[in-house]
Amino acid sequence: MSVVDDPTATDLPAPPALQTDVGRRLLRNPGVVAGATILAIMLSIALAAPWLGTVDPAAINPSVRNKLPGYEETIRGADGRESTLVHHMGTDTLGRDIYSRVAYGARASLLVGASVALIGVAIGLVIGLVAGYIRWLDGIVMRVMDGLMAIPAILLAIAVVSLSSTGLLAVIVAIVIPEIPRVVRLVRSVVLSVREEPYVEAAISVGTPTLPLIIRHILPNTVPPLIVQATYIAASAILIEAILSFLGVGIPPQTPTWGNIMAEGRSLFRIFPHNILYPGILLALTVLAVNMLGDGLRDTLDPRMSKRL
Amino acid sequence: MSEGVRVLDVRGLTIALPSGADRALAVERAGFSVNAGEIVCLVGESGSGKSVIAQATMGLLPAALRATAGQVLLDGEDVLAASEARLRELRCTRMSMIFQEPMTALNPVMTCGDQIDEVLATHTELSAALRRSRILEIVGDVQLPEPERMIASYPHQLSGGQRQRIMIAMALVLNPRLLIADEPTTALDVTTQAQILELIRELQRKHGTGVLFITHDFGVVAEIADRVAVLRQGEVLEFAPARELLSHPRHDYTRMLIAAVPSLKPRQRGIAAGAPIVLRTEKLTKSYTRSGWLRRGADVAAAASVSLEIRRGETLGIVGESGSGKSTVARCIARLIEPTAGRIMLDGEDVAQLASGALRGFRRRVQIVFQDPYRSLNPRRTVGEAIVEGPMNYGIGRDAALANARRLMDLVRLDPKSLDRYPHQFSGGQRQRVCIARALAIEPELLIADEAVSALDVSVQAQVLALLDEIRTQLNLAMLFITHDLRVAAQVCDRVAVMQHGRIVEQGPVGELFANPQHEYTRALFAAAPGRNWAFASDGRASTD
Repeated sequence: MSVVDDPTATDLPAPPALQTDVGRRLLRNPGVVAGATILAIMLSIALAAPWLGTVDPAAINPSVRNKLPGYEETIRGADGRESTLVHHMGTDTLGRDIYSRVAYGARASLLVGASVALIGVAIGLVIGLVAGYIRWLDGIVMRVMDGLMAIPAILLAIAVVSLSSTGLLAVIVAIVIPEIPRVVRLVRSVVLSVREEPYVEAAISVGTPTLPLIIRHILPNTVPPLIVQATYIAASAILIEAILSFLGVGIPPQTPTWGNIMAEGRSLFRIFPHNILYPGILLALTVLAVNMLGDGLRDTLDPRMSKRL
Repeated sequence: MSEGVRVLDVRGLTIALPSGADRALAVERAGFSVNAGEIVCLVGESGSGKSVIAQATMGLLPAALRATAGQVLLDGEDVLAASEARLRELRCTRMSMIFQEPMTALNPVMTCGDQIDEVLATHTELSAALRRSRILEIVGDVQLPEPERMIASYPHQLSGGQRQRIMIAMALVLNPRLLIADEPTTALDVTTQAQILELIRELQRKHGTGVLFITHDFGVVAEIADRVAVLRQGEVLEFAPARELLSHPRHDYTRMLIAAVPSLKPRQRGIAAGAPIVLRTEKLTKSYTRSGWLRRGADVAAAASVSLEIRRGETLGIVGESGSGKSTVARCIARLIEPTAGRIMLDGEDVAQLASGALRGFRRRVQIVFQDPYRSLNPRRTVGEAIVEGPMNYGIGRDAALANARRLMDLVRLDPKSLDRYPHQFSGGQRQRVCIARALAIEPELLIADEAVSALDVSVQAQVLALLDEIRTQLNLAMLFITHDLRVAAQVCDRVAVMQHGRIVEQGPVGELFANPQHEYTRALFAAAPGRNWAFASDGRASTD
């Protein structure tokens, strides 16, 4: 019957382990579980593509052009023995195996999604921290960001790609640039609210220099919303990569990407819809999975955060 | 007076908390009653369940809470059993409620008159003209000047006290039998509080309303209560007439609560007259410029020409209402904000205009403890990390800093073993102890306490005050103590400065200033202190009257 505030902390309940608690809540969220499962499948397809019964995705074979799914091709090996190759998803106008191209194409999509999210968050985080903490730079930085945001992302990406040679790196850079302002805005708004917290002032008054202050007291607050934001960026990067490839300004057409496969199949869509159907389904599934994961993370980590800043 | 008709009768009320809360029941078999023409105070510390009882009475319980047993009889009708439609009928006509924060309880986009009109239009058949005359009448009743202008104003155009009067007008416009006031004066300044209490008392007498007044402040209880119910962890421990309860509390808990109320009678201490001056400010000024697009706006002085000095081993109190500039002075001295003009002499060196690089040495010598114990510790870092941060900034090794932290935890009466716990595992009072330990870790010469005990319950407040006092004596610190509470100031300060509108209107030794206030504002503050005529147990004399 302690009527007064007990001055010793010995009778406190055992410290609840924060990390495991978050982990358990994540596992209970259907969006997180479903999204992560689909992504894991896509990732294993991408990584294990050579061992999934695929052939060289760039191998051209004019004799089996535009075959429907399930077409069986007889191949004569070097030793004269015949074997059968089944084109599960058919072939394209150059006779390439669509199943192989789709499996290998997962690599480009996932690589672009993950690297754009990581690079965009990293750059945006630094700029956002600087803008939020150094007040006189804030106005300049944010006006530049507003300017970037005023240009449609696809247009900006096309412009960036056309300034350099085509290739994976150029595509990643082109998609990262329009995503940076969103991250900067998010980080800046967190910094602006956290820097007014008394614990930050207390840290200043015990003489904590600016850099450790930002790293110890301000940065950790930006992590949960940034994880969520990163998933949305990944989803939109995968889409933009496909759009750029579809428009022919992305990754070179011989490299299999879902966008390239669809661009290839565009002209014969009415007769051979499978050229677009299969990569389209995988693209949609992947983007859906990333978004489900993001929504689930948002609900678990920070229910109050808005979907898109 | 207690022989009036029973307006509210709470019998065996039990309200369950959702599973996973710190206790099973928010309210446990609570029983008390309110008669017509009577003010019953429901007193308790935070988490005692007093607001939950108010919500249950109004039929406003949050969905997670459920009344599992008992009755709440309003004029004999059980509110707990009433339908939502019936509750809507009862609210405002038979029972009304006013809240702690009138700014959030009023709709910011409707004029005050429209908000009162809404009540009338919902519950009566009166014509627009009759409603308007009734609104003007009630606004006059709550003693607002220029009723016509008041009802055309939006809430943000009124002061806090005026907004609370509008709330009261809205609550009383239909002459309800019961008025529930949930901490209605806690957010108000002490002089405004005195006026609102007076108003509630007056209106309640005039209309014979029964008032259920929820408060944590025994000063307020002594001021207005007819009967008092003391609540602890959802249980009504004691329900008795105010005079009897205040002078002869039967329960230990009540006795402890009353004993913890700081006395208005200053405690005399040896004054450190010969001790060296640690801090002196000369004409310290902080003004803000409202910047416009085309021209410079007017300067607003948050603090103007503040001159004060603090000697080693002495506590200087700055007392004032909200907006008086007392926190601005504290934050200027701690150099969390930059003063506009004037000097801050710390051991003969002017630190007012030091550049941020040169401030490092200074920061070591002045430390500050903030008001809100829930926000002054980083929730993601252990209290140990919080305490060693300062010393490690000044080149002390981690092990030495941790050893020192354990010693400090002992000093603030916390278990040194709990250094690796996170702030959310501590109560408010314990967190404030951690903040004090953090401030002491870099051995400052001057400790600033900015409303450091204002957010704490009265029993915890008494302990933290005692701790601060002990530390100041033991370490021979100079202390600057910012507070709005005269009772607290009387207990810890050697000298007191009274601030109003950014200026010091009066300062002097606490004994002299309390015995013989010179400035009229100081006198007004004393006149408004709740319970000033009541001698609490801590005054050290028998409280027979």
